[in-house]
Amino acid sequence: MRSPRWLLLASKECRELSASRAYWLLLLMIGPLVGHSFIMAVDLYAEASGIGGGPAALSQGLTPLDGILVPTFGAYDLAVTLLFPFVAIRLIAAEKESGAMKLLLQFPSRLATSVAMKALVLLLGWLVAWIPGLVAVALWKSYGGHLYAPETLNLLFGHLLRVALSASVAVAAASVAESAASAAIATLGFTVGTWALDFIGAGRGGWAQELAAYTPTAALRVFEQGLLRLSTMIVIAALSIGGFALAIVWLHTGRSWLYRLIATSVVVITLAAAVTAGAALRPNWDLSENRRNSFPQADEAALKQIKEPLRVTVYLSAEDPRLTDLERSILSKLQRILPRVEVDYAASSRTGLFEGAEEHYGEVWYEMGGRRVMSRSTTEPIVLEQLYELAGVKQPDRPELMEESDFPGYPLPARPKGAPWIFYMIFPVATILAFWLIRK
Amino acid sequence: MFLTVEGISKRFGSNAVLKDVSFSVLDGEVLGLIGPNGAGKTTLFECLAGLLPANGGTVRFNDQALPLARRKEALFYMPDGILPWADQTVKWALRFFEKLYRSTEVKASSLAEPLKLERLMKSRIGSLSKGERKRVLLALGLLTPQPLLMLDEPFDGLDLRQTRDVMSLLKGHARRGRTLMLSIHQLVEAARVCDRLVLLSEGKVAGEGTIPELQVRAGLTEGGLEEVFLALT
Repeated sequence: MRSPRWLLLASKECRELSASRAYWLLLLMIGPLVGHSFIMAVDLYAEASGIGGGPAALSQGLTPLDGILVPTFGAYDLAVTLLFPFVAIRLIAAEKESGAMKLLLQFPSRLATSVAMKALVLLLGWLVAWIPGLVAVALWKSYGGHLYAPETLNLLFGHLLRVALSASVAVAAASVAESAASAAIATLGFTVGTWALDFIGAGRGGWAQELAAYTPTAALRVFEQGLLRLSTMIVIAALSIGGFALAIVWLHTGRSWLYRLIATSVVVITLAAAVTAGAALRPNWDLSENRRNSFPQADEAALKQIKEPLRVTVYLSAEDPRLTDLERSILSKLQRILPRVEVDYAASSRTGLFEGAEEHYGEVWYEMGGRRVMSRSTTEPIVLEQLYELAGVKQPDRPELMEESDFPGYPLPARPKGAPWIFYMIFPVATILAFWLIRK
Repeated sequence: MFLTVEGISKRFGSNAVLKDVSFSVLDGEVLGLIGPNGAGKTTLFECLAGLLPANGGTVRFNDQALPLARRKEALFYMPDGILPWADQTVKWALRFFEKLYRSTEVKASSLAEPLKLERLMKSRIGSLSKGERKRVLLALGLLTPQPLLMLDEPFDGLDLRQTRDVMSLLKGHARRGRTLMLSIHQLVEAARVCDRLVLLSEGKVAGEGTIPELQVRAGLTEGGLEEVFLALT
């Protein structure tokens, strides 16, 4: 029976990936890396839960998402930034350098199919690299740890999108660049560029901040907060597809430079349109168990009555911790629930240390339908009370709200039993053994 | 005409590598593209296969224009000096091509004996010698079903006996209806295996035809291909 050609190509890519020493090195390193993060996280969580006999933190503050999942899978963010691009680059560059690409370009299937199979296999390869992370999750459960499925799956989904973006950037760079070294420099340059954008965009407002919301780090942060935002999903997916589309354009050496430049422009324009349209999408879901991205339900019901646009002018600098508080506990939640929220970052300095009181530093102005109110608070109930007054909406009863915030928290004074053996010994040995068996 | 090449030109910056190259390929023949190193043979093959953009010229197949996007339907080009999928075994590469191209007329098993590949089947491609690798590449090329197969330096790296065996194999495929175009820089080998020849020198076609036709064109009454080549270039 004939196998479909795409399946043959996928099988070829699997063989090529499993023959890649870069991939095996990644697998060798990922176990201890993830294990170390997990062990540290469990130890810290146990200490915060009072294992050492010291004072335990408030149980409401102990969430497995923040305490265990985010730090454990944070190791993957490191790996996907610094290790995985080399695996992806190798999958293209090796074929270019060995001359296999000249054969691939003549294959009976379309070049797009070949690139799509490379993308698919890279993602599958990454799922294999998830084994230590999934083992860590299983260990956590075995210690008696709590997991909330929606926020756990959401975090994994965020990491999957993150790796898709990383793979597409690396594959595009490898397709355009002459050599693997140039592609690696271009990919790392992209990463450093997104870090710079994160820094520049923070607390500045305008296009820089809007753009910075879709850097890999910022996008992942959304999922780490237990939020599933349609705009983030669409933009990251579009950017990932765009990277692979650029690879298809540039891998075809038979096309003239003019053709490739025109095709690149078409991809970039289409991508810009998709990103702009995607970024405007408002649907989002707070999947965190403690509803950290949402106001209490009674407040949300009251806020939904507000139809007028809200303009917020913030006189807080980017590095002022009050701005972080305000954004997390007020602004991001308002942006989720109100139809239109515009934020103007009016502080003129980055640190705020040298701004005088006469320049309104520390003030936050809320403006709706020509009415304005000023507040210096970043505390949720205080700001909401002022907003209700500003909008002329009846404030929900506070006792009712108190009953709603019943997230118990999940303290767990447990040590990471067996984890060092699994991550520092069994995983590396199993990886070396698997490599030896496959190469045999 | 099976394949007609008209006015192909190719420049790399200001360096013109192919200058108005025109020739024809007849159905079922073995056509030799001969010329010294740097004559533009490989560039011409890559332009014809659609792996390099030509700056001008057209390719017609069975009297119909053959645009870039459809080149791979009519012809397959096996480059020289490549080392594809070095970590994979010879057996895998042959089976992969067999399945990918759904080869029905030629099977990998039928090529293993004439190309002496049986004992190499479990070897990784990256571990093969130059000659062994060349035989594997020839097998991959012969497994493809396109009517025209272009082979770049098919005898490079082969010893005398292997060269003779490969020539015999290629002639057999041509007899069964496959058209072959071989880029060869060894004139003796070209004269032995090719039905007709295209002489390429400094990016231009210096002559096209059988050896007697080329002798006439060169104004020679006797002498081999070497003398003809020297007279025409």
